Amino acid sequence: MDGVFSQLCVLGSSLVLIFGLILLWRRGVTAYISAFTWQSVVLSVVTAIVAYFGDDHELYWVAAALFLLKGLLIPRLLRRMERRFAAERELEPYVNTATSLVIAGLLVLFGYAITRPLVALSQLPTRAGMPLAMGLVLVSLFVVISRKKALTQVIGFLMLENGLALLAVLGTYGIPLIVELGVFLDILMGFLVMQIFIYQIHETFESIDVEQLNRLKH
Amino acid sequence: MIGYVLEVAQAALALLLAPGLVGLLRWMKARLQNRRGAPVWQPYSELAKLFQKEVVVSSNASWLFRAAPFVVFASTVAVTFLVPILAVPLPFDGVGDLLVVVYLLLLGAFFLSLAGLDPGSPFGGMGASREMTVAALAEPTIALAIFALALGAGSTNLGQIVARTMADPGTSVSPGHLLAFGALFIVTLAETGRLPVDNPATHLELTMIHEAMILEYSGRYLALIEWAAALKLLIFFSLLGNLFVPWGVAVTVTPVSLAVAVGSLLAKLIVLAGAVAVLEIRIAKLRLFRVPELLAASFVLALLAVTSSFLLR
Repeated sequence: MDGVFSQLCVLGSSLVLIFGLILLWRRGVTAYISAFTWQSVVLSVVTAIVAYFGDDHELYWVAAALFLLKGLLIPRLLRRMERRFAAERELEPYVNTATSLVIAGLLVLFGYAITRPLVALSQLPTRAGMPLAMGLVLVSLFVVISRKKALTQVIGFLMLENGLALLAVLGTYGIPLIVELGVFLDILMGFLVMQIFIYQIHETFESIDVEQLNRLKH
Repeated sequence: MIGYVLEVAQAALALLLAPGLVGLLRWMKARLQNRRGAPVWQPYSELAKLFQKEVVVSSNASWLFRAAPFVVFASTVAVTFLVPILAVPLPFDGVGDLLVVVYLLLLGAFFLSLAGLDPGSPFGGMGASREMTVAALAEPTIALAIFALALGAGSTNLGQIVARTMADPGTSVSPGHLLAFGALFIVTLAETGRLPVDNPATHLELTMIHEAMILEYSGRYLALIEWAAALKLLIFFSLLGNLFVPWGVAVTVTPVSLAVAVGSLLAKLIVLAGAVAVLEIRIAKLRLFRVPELLAASFVLALLAVTSSFLLR
């Protein structure tokens, strides 16, 4: 039973990580949004699996909230932005695609290295997925610093959050529901603020390329 | 003794089925695009026709140009003896493991590129340089992807990997296996010259890879190269089928189990051909400069496969 549980967790975490890697491989905003949506859906499924096998009813609520917020609401808001920014493709990131992918692979290996003590310490059957969650956190950070378009960076930030949520679920069977709800509210507010920022950047520079912000210095 | 007979039968079956597989793939693609399509046995007729035709060789070509088709064909046929297509274990399992398979396939590609360079036509040189780029990027991915499986089975022997997966069915849905399948599938498309890396349907397109190298060939030389290419496709498909979904491969030599093995092989080939046909009508060819990115993605998948199967061991 534990074997199946642990394998499902690793499989789910691998899928979540792969949807994160799509951010480095594809260029269009549409692909980013669907990758984020599917990642969130898989994340909520993993949470539900942990709830089922760990016999923790609070986690079902977390899974449902995850699905509603990150699987439905935020993607809908992103799609509304996409209509305006669909032409803004990630054509010249700071690091080119092939190199980014290889760096992402190395970052995942690094994730394995730094979570080794955690994995060795933990007794939970979910522990094997933790390095992948840490890998996702590192890869998303890399997306945020290596991509130029504001929208890509926002999606990178959202995926970073997904990685942290996955780490929490796998590492400790989730944090208390009230904290989780606070985090969700935080993400939603943060996202709305960033959305306003993006609209403002677009209005000022007619582009959502953050390199343009350098012009403010002069 | 029976093992050696089986070995020869397996190679003969692979040789016989290979053109049919290409025909099936073309037919499925045509039907999906609402065309009538050539019949499945069309490649057999093409091969028969090519074997009867006269050979025209450029006066600039050296002996290498004449030798290459035989090397390509022979190295590909040699691989069919080492890959578990119908049954495990085979007597030649000790002769070569997955590394030998990978490098035998690469040997064929190497000689084909040399032959492309030899007559001095610009198309041949262009195709050869592209083929080498793709091969150099695809090779580490194949090795890593199969290493992910070898780690689980504790052996780099392909027959052993199949036997171990059959003994423990749970491993076939483990993340290591699934990621390695994804990586190997992308590499299969790249190595056998399918979309999105190369377009097998057109000649004389400026982005061609495989077709550019063999542009100078005619007659029986061309037939041998085409046949070897079809065989390579069959080898990769049966690797994908038998390494990841090994059920149906015969473990005992009885008429019933061999019949089951042939049936399941056909079923796996048809399913994979269908998957590739659907994929090919849904996507466009990648720009040449994006091909390394695709292969980097498959490399990362293979890397993840190795790490996760190493961790779960």
